[in-house]
Amino acid sequence: MTKPQEIATKAEFLAHAFALEQESVDRYEELADAMDTHNNPEVAGLFRKMADFGRKHAAEVERLAAGSELPVLEPWDFKWSDDEGPETGDYADIDYLMTPVQALQFALVNEKHSRDFYGRVAAHSPTRTVRQLADEFAQEEAEHVTLLERWIARQDPATAVQDDLDPPNIVD
Amino acid sequence: MNPLPGNLQPKDFKSDVKPVWCPGCGDFGVLNALTKALASLKLPPEQVALISGIGCSSRMPAYTSVYGFHGIHGRALAVGAGLKAARPDIHVVVTGGDGDGFSIGGNHFLHACRRNMDMTYIVMDNEVYGMTKGQASPTTAPDWTASEFTPSGTHARAFQPAAIALAAGATFIARAFSGQPNTLAQMIVMAMQHPGFAFIQVLSPCPTFRPEQKDWKKIVRPFAVDDLPTSDPAQAALHCQRDDGMSTGVIYVEARPVWRRSKAQEMTVEDIEQEFQL
Amino acid sequence: MYDCRMNDTKRRNSLSIALVGSGGAGVVTVGNLLLEAAAVDGSYGLMRRSAGPQIRGGESAALLHFADVPVECAGDYYDLLIALDWRHAERFLDEIPLTACSCVLYDPAAGDLPAPVVHTDARLVPVAMQRLAKEIKFGRANMIALGLVSSITGLKLDTLCETVSGALSAKGEDVVTGACACIARGAKLGQSLDIELSIPTAQPGAEARWTITGNQACGLGALKGGVRFVAGYPITPASEMLEWLAGRLPRTGGCLIQAEDELASVNMILGASYGGVPAMTVTSGPGLALMTEGIGLAIASETPIVVIDVMRGGPSTGIPTKSEQTDLNIALYGMHGEAPHVVVAPVSIPDSVFTVRWAVNLAESLQTAVIVLSDQLLAQSRMVANRPPDVGFVPRRVTGQAGVENYRRYALSGDGVSAMAIPGTTGMNYTADGLEHDERGTPSTGSQDHLQQLEKRAAKLTGFDYGDHWADVEGDGTIAVVTWGSCTGAVKEAIRRAGEHGVPVRLIALRLLAPLSTRYLEQALEGVTRLLVVEQTFSRQLYHYLRSQLDLPQCTGTLARPGPLPLAPGEVTERLLAEAC
Repeated sequence: MTKPQEIATKAEFLAHAFALEQESVDRYEELADAMDTHNNPEVAGLFRKMADFGRKHAAEVERLAAGSELPVLEPWDFKWSDDEGPETGDYADIDYLMTPVQALQFALVNEKHSRDFYGRVAAHSPTRTVRQLADEFAQEEAEHVTLLERWIARQDPATAVQDDLDPPNIVD
Repeated sequence: MNPLPGNLQPKDFKSDVKPVWCPGCGDFGVLNALTKALASLKLPPEQVALISGIGCSSRMPAYTSVYGFHGIHGRALAVGAGLKAARPDIHVVVTGGDGDGFSIGGNHFLHACRRNMDMTYIVMDNEVYGMTKGQASPTTAPDWTASEFTPSGTHARAFQPAAIALAAGATFIARAFSGQPNTLAQMIVMAMQHPGFAFIQVLSPCPTFRPEQKDWKKIVRPFAVDDLPTSDPAQAALHCQRDDGMSTGVIYVEARPVWRRSKAQEMTVEDIEQEFQL
Repeated sequence: MYDCRMNDTKRRNSLSIALVGSGGAGVVTVGNLLLEAAAVDGSYGLMRRSAGPQIRGGESAALLHFADVPVECAGDYYDLLIALDWRHAERFLDEIPLTACSCVLYDPAAGDLPAPVVHTDARLVPVAMQRLAKEIKFGRANMIALGLVSSITGLKLDTLCETVSGALSAKGEDVVTGACACIARGAKLGQSLDIELSIPTAQPGAEARWTITGNQACGLGALKGGVRFVAGYPITPASEMLEWLAGRLPRTGGCLIQAEDELASVNMILGASYGGVPAMTVTSGPGLALMTEGIGLAIASETPIVVIDVMRGGPSTGIPTKSEQTDLNIALYGMHGEAPHVVVAPVSIPDSVFTVRWAVNLAESLQTAVIVLSDQLLAQSRMVANRPPDVGFVPRRVTGQAGVENYRRYALSGDGVSAMAIPGTTGMNYTADGLEHDERGTPSTGSQDHLQQLEKRAAKLTGFDYGDHWADVEGDGTIAVVTWGSCTGAVKEAIRRAGEHGVPVRLIALRLLAPLSTRYLEQALEGVTRLLVVEQTFSRQLYHYLRSQLDLPQCTGTLARPGPLPLAPGEVTERLLAEAC
């Protein structure tokens, strides 16, 4: 994969912002479903809440984009900092026994990725309006980061993954 | 606002059946990549059939909204071949795991490569049997001793999917990582657009039986060579054999005639039965 | 003791001829030519082949039976045996029973007469076939033999030469000329031998006649039934059917794949059928054993398939080249779990056309697996038969129409058959599953879903009206025979003979083996006080199956014998005429 060129137009930027939130929503919903399936309702609920946040943000992006035509990008054509969307997280950090703290930490990593992505665009876009918009978005993500850090601080720090006392099931 | 107005979104290719996969399973990434690829290809869901055998990854069809066939262990490629031969208009994608594809279905894998039918085969390789509680698979390292079934390891060399696909005659060979759904989506698009048998080995970690595979994200990297993909089988073999199996990318693409059903002059059955007439 | 001059077969106008030879002597070619030439002259006939285990150059026999009516079984004894040589002939001499009335033409240069032949008291006539052939350019001893037969049996020389020219034209003019010269030489010699036999001919009728093997008849039935996809793996004695189909399926818009193994074959046809194309595979016992898991998948996923098993001697590799009916049990019970499906069997070579066509229709209508049990004797025998009646079926796979709301592939319906959407149909996308599932097809381990789907899959088979096709039922009387497959031919002939002895016997030749039409069978057995179950097995599989399904008359006997020897009508007649059960 070649190194992405920086985002240069408002439409391109909003397409990225919308995709970022939409992918975030889809991923959190998927994770929440998986947690429901594996009987971890607490974390499932947290992921659903994160998905709701994402939906609200996506709606905000939609409002900003009203009246303008956004470019259609293939999944691999987005100019993310690596090949994947900033808020999709890493499957390797997910576990069916994960605690709310760990779920919040997962979310925190996502928010930091978003903040950094917008920060990068704010610093490097050749277009002033894009830089301004990206800076606003970066600040908002930074607020999310602070909020999540506060939530995490309120959780019982001792909470960690428990061992499953039962062996795995034989399915097929 | 819809970024792809009038077109199907990746989530339109998902069904409302929730995966039974363990949270953290790499197969979620493959499902996402596949649905993204299908949306990118703008294929109507009814024109696509997803065929699978048995195993964690073989549960894939039910989680998509395309036509699906969840068959028996190891035989997905045969089902796919029959469907493609009978219905060349349908886009056939076969999915499964390393045990399904390389052990019990190993013979079909070889012959599907040889036959070069126009279909795509995605193997989610986690080097373990998940649904039967973590036994060694053909791609497991010989000294892996974590299974009660093989307490001192398998003592059998790990199966080399890409090299074997190459030797057997696959015309599109790629390796990907499930943790990179966007990259994989692009590869699936290329595979489905490739005329012939396209094989993608997806390194797809099993968090339950191979927790050490959580580190794969730190190990995988694109092939560090600049002559891939190649259409030279010798060159492709060299890269496959020198690699530790963790490099990703499209390795081999060859333009070879695709399997086609033979066309003969049309006759009616009544014409044919004349041969029995005394 | 048996008096050959009173031979039952003699009462019926018939003639049996055996030709044996080894090392590429060409007896099978002669047999085919003889069958065809006699057919052109107006005879009905049946030719069976028996061969050694060698691929080339082995000993083989062409066993022919002619009559003025369609012939569905071999005779009890051979009237004429022509031996080009005796090498390894002991391997199949027990398939060629001779009597004191038989005549054996043999080449004295080809070695000593085998003791079993001498002991029959048959008339032995030495004829120097090889020496005569050498005197003719491009001469072959088998053509001398053909000439001998023609003059002995009164076959028209013109017809014969015409048939031979047609058959051998590809080998060049010299070969044809040499062959015709040999036939003429052999015929001349035959006239001097004072042997009088005749190939019976029928009055020329309006009925069109065919020469066809059972394998070809099954293949034709599949084409007529609408099969347009076949996958198969080479196996004796089924390969010929696959080869026949391979050349013809593409011409009807279909397709055949030589699969990598039987596991692939059955799964390929599942894929094709899932795609909406009627599909079939063809195999023999070892292949059927490999396919059973796939057949179970067809049943569970309700994907229509037809599997033809051309039975041979088993178990394991068994006796690949000889007939047996010992796959009945695996066909009935081979699948794990409770897997209701259909098993049918043709009762004759021409009936193979109908039975396979019916099998396709049943598979499509009932969305299940249908196993057709043919056997080597039907499959590899060539018969001159009246053109089989054209019984058509309207293919009736219930498919879904686009736009159905909340489509449920495995919906519980009155008759158990639910709409099967075909890929490409908008809005009906579903996943077929071999896992137990709910009505939508979503995997389920729930007791209610399992019970409902088990009931659904069973009900669609038991509630179906199979009509009169379940069996061929003929005759009346208080004695009955239940039989199936290639045994039917010998049983029919035995019943005819019993009738001539004043003993009427009912025939029930089962075509539908599963689900067994017990109600019809009970009706057919009404008033029967003595029942004989005739089958080519060692362990009496059919008998045990029937007993498991219904109450049989108290006086029920069995005539069960394994292969490789085909059942002779005489031994069945003997049992019918005996007083014992």
